Amino acid sequence: MIAVLRELWQSLTTFLERVGLLVRFALRLMAILPSGLLRVRPIIEQVYNTGAMSLVIIMTCGLFIGMVLGLQGYDLLTRFGSEEYLGTATAISLLRELGPVVTALLFAGRAGTALAAELGLMRATDQIAAMEIMAVDPMRRVVLPRFLGGVIAMPLLVSIFIVVALFGAQLVGVEFFGVDAGSYWSQMRSAVELSDIREGLVKGLVFGVACSLIAVYEGYNAKPTADGVGRATTRTVVISAVVTLILDYILTALML
Amino acid sequence: MKNQSGPAAASAPAVQSPSIAVLRDVHFDVDSGKTVFSALDIEIRRGAITAIMGPSGTGKTTLLKLITGQIFADRGQVIVDGLDVARLNRKQIFALRRRMGMLFQNGALLTDLDVFENVAFPLREHTRLPERLIRTIVLTKLHAVGLRGAAELYPQQLSGGMGRRVALARAIVMDPEILIYDEPFAGLDPISMGVVLRLIRSLNDALGITSIVVTHDVREISQIADQSFIISEGKVVASGTTAELRDHPSPIVHQFVDGLADGPVPFHYPAPGYHEQLLGGKVFA
Repeated sequence: MIAVLRELWQSLTTFLERVGLLVRFALRLMAILPSGLLRVRPIIEQVYNTGAMSLVIIMTCGLFIGMVLGLQGYDLLTRFGSEEYLGTATAISLLRELGPVVTALLFAGRAGTALAAELGLMRATDQIAAMEIMAVDPMRRVVLPRFLGGVIAMPLLVSIFIVVALFGAQLVGVEFFGVDAGSYWSQMRSAVELSDIREGLVKGLVFGVACSLIAVYEGYNAKPTADGVGRATTRTVVISAVVTLILDYILTALML
Repeated sequence: MKNQSGPAAASAPAVQSPSIAVLRDVHFDVDSGKTVFSALDIEIRRGAITAIMGPSGTGKTTLLKLITGQIFADRGQVIVDGLDVARLNRKQIFALRRRMGMLFQNGALLTDLDVFENVAFPLREHTRLPERLIRTIVLTKLHAVGLRGAAELYPQQLSGGMGRRVALARAIVMDPEILIYDEPFAGLDPISMGVVLRLIRSLNDALGITSIVVTHDVREISQIADQSFIISEGKVVASGTTAELRDHPSPIVHQFVDGLADGPVPFHYPAPGYHEQLLGGKVFA
């Protein structure tokens, strides 16, 4: 019993220590944020690397998730004879929940792992140590632009995901099952409020901060070995996914 | 181009000491509790090529980290150009590092930049020189290492020796006062090794800098080193010129300089009895 309690205590202290290190890392990023914002070019490059390079996977997944929503939504709504609400149902579920959450999970899997692996390899090949020796702060030069690139890219990716998914749902509902196009779009327009869009974008921004922070933290602090870099990328995906879902619940509870 | 500004430089002594780096009674333990240095004393002469040698795992790279302020001694003093490294804040350490250049064992070139941009990197970060002047300086440094024609290549397109030379061009681009080499000959073919060897000597003499070379390639470094230190078990076991080391009475120096497999530094890692282990006992899965 005592051994179990000791192990639990040890796990708790390790967890708290890691959270503390992550918070300290985040505070350091915030401290150099003003000067980092002055260097626009590296940030734009990272928006391209994390955002534009994720477009294919985001759009493909968005299209199919929208089509599945169209199928399931149509099947459910025809039971109540209200298939004209298909547009409203898909739009609200995508804007409030599916859009930001699925985009964040995909972002963690595609851009997050790429960020973590890149930074981990830079650490393993002494590139970060070389910058330190050249009196260049790697946090300012390497970490901050990647973090900001992710934060800026995420709400944009969420918006694109939602638009493509709405098209997918429309493709199934209107084109395949023959739901009236006028009803589909007009019901959506009348039911969706600005607060729904705001909720999606706020979630996208918060998830962007969380996933980008976790990715750059794990990569920057990876052990300089092949195993260390591998572990950092795995932890990036796992922790980002869990944190995204926890944050989603908290944000939903706050914004309802 | 030498950066003499900043708090570190401001408090540097007016009269130059003959020693550019002094380590006095340095003690250093790693996190696991293993002692790396115990009472280490080293004095590096200004303007000379100093070789730091010793068997693998004796803390040669740790010594470089102490000099560059990446880590700090548990006890004792590390003084670089009159400044106690442990007493400097991050800004002052960065100011001190701007007066140093370092060649990493694997080059440590930035893989997302081409050769030209790698060499230009410190200039772009620390100066506001016009593009034309940056171009001239970078091409001059690349010419010095014989790679002006490789300016547009990326690090992954370079051989090991070429990568090391580009890293050397980057290390001298800010005209440092101290140039530190971490295992500059490791993994190089004889031609590249000869090239790097000649570059170390010619850069040291032409630029009037101090060179610190960490290596265990005794034969190569003995051709160019002005003074050498051999470190073992946390202490300096021998120092002097190459000739002095060759005639040194210490068995460990003799083993190291002559490259003998067995001696005070054992060939075998501590293990149970050979026959006892072969004939029974623990089975390694």
